[in-house]
Amino acid sequence: METFQHLMNGFAVALSPLNLLFATIGCILGTLIGVLPGLGPAAGTALLIPITFKLDPTAAIIMLAAIYYGAMYGGTITSVLVNVPGEAASVVTCLDGYAMAKQGRAGAALGIAAIGSFIGGTVATLGLVVMALPLSRFALKFGPPEYFSLILVGLSLVMALAGKSLTKALVMGVVGLIFSFVGIDPIEGAPRFDFGITSLLDGIRFVPVVMGFFGIGEILVNAEQSLGNVMVGEGKVSSFLPRRDEYRICLSAINRGTWLGFFLGLIPGTNSAVASFMSYAIEKKVSKHPEKFGTGVIEGVAAPETANNSYANAALIPLFTLGIPGSPTVAILMGALIMNGLIPGPLLFSEHATFVWAVIASLYIGNVILLILNLPLVNWWVKILKIPYNILVVFILIFCIIGAYSLNNSVFDVGMMIFCGLLGYVFKKLDFPLAPAILTLILGPQMERSLRESLSMSQGDYSTFFTRPISLVLLIITAIIFITSAWQALPSAVREESKEAQV
Amino acid sequence: MGGAGGRPTAEMSIVDRVSWSALLLFGVFVIYESLQIKYYGSDFGPGPGFFSFWLGILVVGLSAVEIGRTVGKRVPLPAGFFPDRAGVVRIACLLGALIAVVFLLEPLGYSLAMALFCLFLLRTLGKQPWWLTVVLTLAGSFGTAYIFRLLQVILPGGILGI
Repeated sequence: METFQHLMNGFAVALSPLNLLFATIGCILGTLIGVLPGLGPAAGTALLIPITFKLDPTAAIIMLAAIYYGAMYGGTITSVLVNVPGEAASVVTCLDGYAMAKQGRAGAALGIAAIGSFIGGTVATLGLVVMALPLSRFALKFGPPEYFSLILVGLSLVMALAGKSLTKALVMGVVGLIFSFVGIDPIEGAPRFDFGITSLLDGIRFVPVVMGFFGIGEILVNAEQSLGNVMVGEGKVSSFLPRRDEYRICLSAINRGTWLGFFLGLIPGTNSAVASFMSYAIEKKVSKHPEKFGTGVIEGVAAPETANNSYANAALIPLFTLGIPGSPTVAILMGALIMNGLIPGPLLFSEHATFVWAVIASLYIGNVILLILNLPLVNWWVKILKIPYNILVVFILIFCIIGAYSLNNSVFDVGMMIFCGLLGYVFKKLDFPLAPAILTLILGPQMERSLRESLSMSQGDYSTFFTRPISLVLLIITAIIFITSAWQALPSAVREESKEAQV
Repeated sequence: MGGAGGRPTAEMSIVDRVSWSALLLFGVFVIYESLQIKYYGSDFGPGPGFFSFWLGILVVGLSAVEIGRTVGKRVPLPAGFFPDRAGVVRIACLLGALIAVVFLLEPLGYSLAMALFCLFLLRTLGKQPWWLTVVLTLAGSFGTAYIFRLLQVILPGGILGI
């Protein structure tokens, strides 16, 4: 009852005309940032922090939170229409979303993504209100061994997503991990793989890598053909609803995506990319036609988009209750909170109850605003992408350059983005999947830190991973995923061998 | 056989062998670099070089297996694997322009560097009419600089401070 009272007070603050205006501006700016390839929520939110300096803290955070989840949805638009994910969480949406767009079903893909995002976001916010305390207590039980085992679950799912070649996916996962080790070692502070370059001591930031792999790499692949002939989207985006026979599949996918995203959002150290990748893998596993994934199946868009938004809202729970950011974008929000004199953590609920509940209430409102804005405005957003590709390329590159540079005001990051663009182009040509590398690049530092902290805690005893119940369960899940994927890959490899032998 | 570039003897198995060999060398390099760092930490458990060392071993192992699999195989290249001459020129123009930006961004400043970048790419990739090229160049350089500076994004000013 007390929670309900707090929430009502929060709504009273969030529904004030000014806060409503800032939530709407945030949603529009966020979607624009998401639509512009190369500017993901992390870069976009960071980029726009300065414009909130003169606002009061509640309005500032409401606006930044709206930018954050607006960008999540905006990233979907470019993933579906141009095959360029705005950020890592949208990578998986490209697989079926872009395939749907090529079949002329971009509207249905964007529609189900908006509906799934709305349901996922709203349920997660409801869950935030009802279950924040007990669930955050559970998340508190996660020590380094549990984090390590959880990340292993995520990585084993990368193999489940491997597609044609398990070896290529594995190698790309390892390459991403090695990239993540560049810079100062998180435990002992020793420099690694820096080659005497000062800028490398800060590590390789994932935003230039994502922009390079998926933005510039894609542009280079497209540049092989005459750029005027590359279409952005297929025709007018219309009919936002799925086909009648797809409703049941979509609802089940949205249901699974909501709960998965919500649960992962509670666990600090995970990120929205894990939520979208895991939900995609789960849909593939439970599907009666897993072989069709990647060719434009609607649940391949519905599930990850729902999980992604559900995660985005639920990820605020560990931030508000424990002061632990779950993802880079949430970390940027945390920075904005601190800049506004609000220290995230358990005391935030007691010392700044009005603020916290106003932000929570604004999440509901923001989800409604996004749904109202995005479905009717998709064609307007699409107009930005209907500009001839040879002109659009120049502007995409400009935004990539600004995005990479503004992260740290460093030309080095621009160079890193170009290098990764060239790498991405080569890997695409050789049919090496890029998504595993991105996932491991993001998870690498946390994985290494968890492993080494676990072993320090257990005084070098590896059995610590098996004697802790949560860690053990997660390791068993990892083993099941790994064995199942390897087993499924084996016969196809054998078939491939025999086919090739006949050539 | 071969791509649009018309390389009659090219085979996918050769391309695969070269790419896996490059990855093998990368793995060897990672192992070498990891051995320069501490394998064990100061307390219990692994040090900074532990994880990367074993990942290097994994890359070398997987690459060796894949190189072994390509031996004695003759798999034709997929059509259009190598871009044609015009495609190579377009890719070179894009990469050249991007690399030039890295070197020109700070000395010339954002607006001037991006003006040259836009002008070059719009003429080489798009063959736009001159009036449109000029409008788009101004929008892409001074226009974006104005908007992003309005959003308080720091962009290099360069010699002219613009």
